Amino acid sequence: MRLTYVFIAATMLLVHLSASGQSQEIPSVPLKALTGKHFDTVQFNERENPVILSFWATWCGPCLKELDAINDVYADWQEETGVELYAISTDDSRGIKRVKPLVNGKGWEFEVLLDENQDFQRKMNVVAMPTVLVVYKGKIIYQHTSYVPGSENKLYEKILEYSK
Amino acid sequence: MVKKTGLLFLGLTLISNLSNAQISGSLESTGQRYVDDNKIQLDGEDAEHRYRSNSYLKLDYITGSWSFGVQGESYLPLSLLNYNPELKGVDIGTVYARYSNKKLGLDVTAGHFYEQFGSGLILRSWEDRQLGINNAILGGRVEYAPADALTFTFLGGRQRVGLGFDLSKGTLYGANIEAGLSDILAISTVDISFGLSYVGRYEDYEHRYLNGNNAHLVNSYSGRLSVSKGGFYSEIEYVHKGKDLLMNMGAPLIDGNKKAGNAFLLDLGYARKGLGVNASLRRMENMRFYSQHDLDGNVFNRGVVNYVPALTKQYDYALQNIYVYQAQPQYQTTPKIAAGEIGGQLDLYYKFKKNSALGGKYGTQVALNTSYWGGLDIEGDPETGMYTTKALGFGDKYYNDMAVEVRKKWSKNWSSVFMYLNQHYNRGYIEGKGGMVNATTATAETTYKFGKSQSIRMEGQHQWVKDNFKNWAAATVEYGLDQHWSFYVHDSYNYGLDKIHYYNLGASFSKNSSRVALSYGRQRGGLLCVGGVCRMVTEAAGFTLYVSTSF
Repeated sequence: MRLTYVFIAATMLLVHLSASGQSQEIPSVPLKALTGKHFDTVQFNERENPVILSFWATWCGPCLKELDAINDVYADWQEETGVELYAISTDDSRGIKRVKPLVNGKGWEFEVLLDENQDFQRKMNVVAMPTVLVVYKGKIIYQHTSYVPGSENKLYEKILEYSK
Repeated sequence: MVKKTGLLFLGLTLISNLSNAQISGSLESTGQRYVDDNKIQLDGEDAEHRYRSNSYLKLDYITGSWSFGVQGESYLPLSLLNYNPELKGVDIGTVYARYSNKKLGLDVTAGHFYEQFGSGLILRSWEDRQLGINNAILGGRVEYAPADALTFTFLGGRQRVGLGFDLSKGTLYGANIEAGLSDILAISTVDISFGLSYVGRYEDYEHRYLNGNNAHLVNSYSGRLSVSKGGFYSEIEYVHKGKDLLMNMGAPLIDGNKKAGNAFLLDLGYARKGLGVNASLRRMENMRFYSQHDLDGNVFNRGVVNYVPALTKQYDYALQNIYVYQAQPQYQTTPKIAAGEIGGQLDLYYKFKKNSALGGKYGTQVALNTSYWGGLDIEGDPETGMYTTKALGFGDKYYNDMAVEVRKKWSKNWSSVFMYLNQHYNRGYIEGKGGMVNATTATAETTYKFGKSQSIRMEGQHQWVKDNFKNWAAATVEYGLDQHWSFYVHDSYNYGLDKIHYYNLGASFSKNSSRVALSYGRQRGGLLCVGGVCRMVTEAAGFTLYVSTSF
């Protein structure tokens, strides 16, 4: 019985939250760039154009496919919309040293940031990978978990909606 | 407890209505219904509870510089098989209040928090739900960053080892400095940064072997330096772990002997567009570190203070994960005295350019990796359990592997991945039974896109092994209807020894921030490893329903 009570309260909260929409600003979390420089995630709120945040890891097969697929069309996307992609590596110390050689070896053109103890992933409530978020003027306007070939086209349609 | 949790949700709903504050959170739930079939049956306790679930509801409430959060967890009626059986019922997992002011450079947390110093060799508290690890520290944490490139952290508290404020008996204290020297001194030609850490563990306990000779306080120190210039980079870390009781199978040695531990890690790399190389070398001696002495070596990773992953590549395909290496940082007396591991790994990534002979129209990606790990060169005294080691000597071989991966895009809609892997796995040492296993695994995968948004992925694998499980064959077919719906069928067939099919089929639906997946099949027993930490799982068959959402 008491569980039912919790369930009802939790459902009310969830319904309330979905009604209020995904409106949170990106919180400040210190990440590291591949150069070792510090990067504060509040910067994502201040960009003119939409920003794609892609949570990935070196051991996540679908993540690598998604980022490879986006890399193939990234120059066109940027030219047409000015969109920027930040690939957030959630690798811990087992895989983190593989990130820089992998990114260079694949010739990825976008920025890569390191979230070594998953602080940013936790703050953004990302529970599975790959997850992409699109942030526009401080708001999350699109979110998708998992990748099947072609998902990147849907992502791009969304970006087109929000670019001039 | 349950009522309190309900009230908390109601309270949060009201508060978020009344203010401009932000609420965000996530819900993740996995339920399993175990079904016996003609090959796989549960027995004993396990068979009595055939429905089990693990669920996590996380809520964060942010208002200005303040944030508050709670993670409620439910294991109903019991946790999934192979998770810590003490996780049962509904209770609070973690709870915190935090003040964070960037202008002041101040970040203060009271309650549960996660933290990592350096690479984690001295301290890491983190959550991994797939492995059932959550060793968050309950206490206080203060971070002060007078500049972007200079951060001081101080913390103290006790680790979570179960549900609802079930804490480790030992207390942890920590201090850490991270400093970007190049930024502070405005040097632009070379990038230099360093870090220093202290971690202390205090535990008051008695044991009949010790005669009052207790290691109450264990002090550990770590120093790190990283230097990079142009495409070259290097990082070095040394950890000294203070004298602590030598533990064997969860109990101290009969004389209560103590030893210090240490770890040395060196990474060297070079990267430019189209090429990346990295080498990691590591030596660890007596580096297991628990916040409660008698949790030493427990299979659920409860109370681990530091993170010592296997430095080997984590492979994607099913058959590549039958013989998985686990790091061997520990002291042990059986089958003979051992106290750690030494070895290294090398990774190379290269892309043949577009329109070159080997690159073709889209370029060709190649990845090579190899690793070698062995025991320390050690002389042990079976009478006392004490030992001496040589700094650079190698003992028995534990593991080595070598793999080649080629990724090729043939056309706009068609791509493939080929992989070859060779492994030598000292099963006798790592699992305590059998001898050296020599496994060769070949994998080919191809993906084809068609129609508006449909795709099909097919994968074939084969593993050749002379002993242990002998030969395996496996195949997967996955069909993506669109970006929301996906269906798969997989079978791993052990035709060399047990003549058993480990089949799985499933469907998943993803939309916005939600995902629902349903599958039916058999789970192979053995090591399940995520992010370098492993646990043993037993065979099981049945249905799995997975739901996740965030808001």
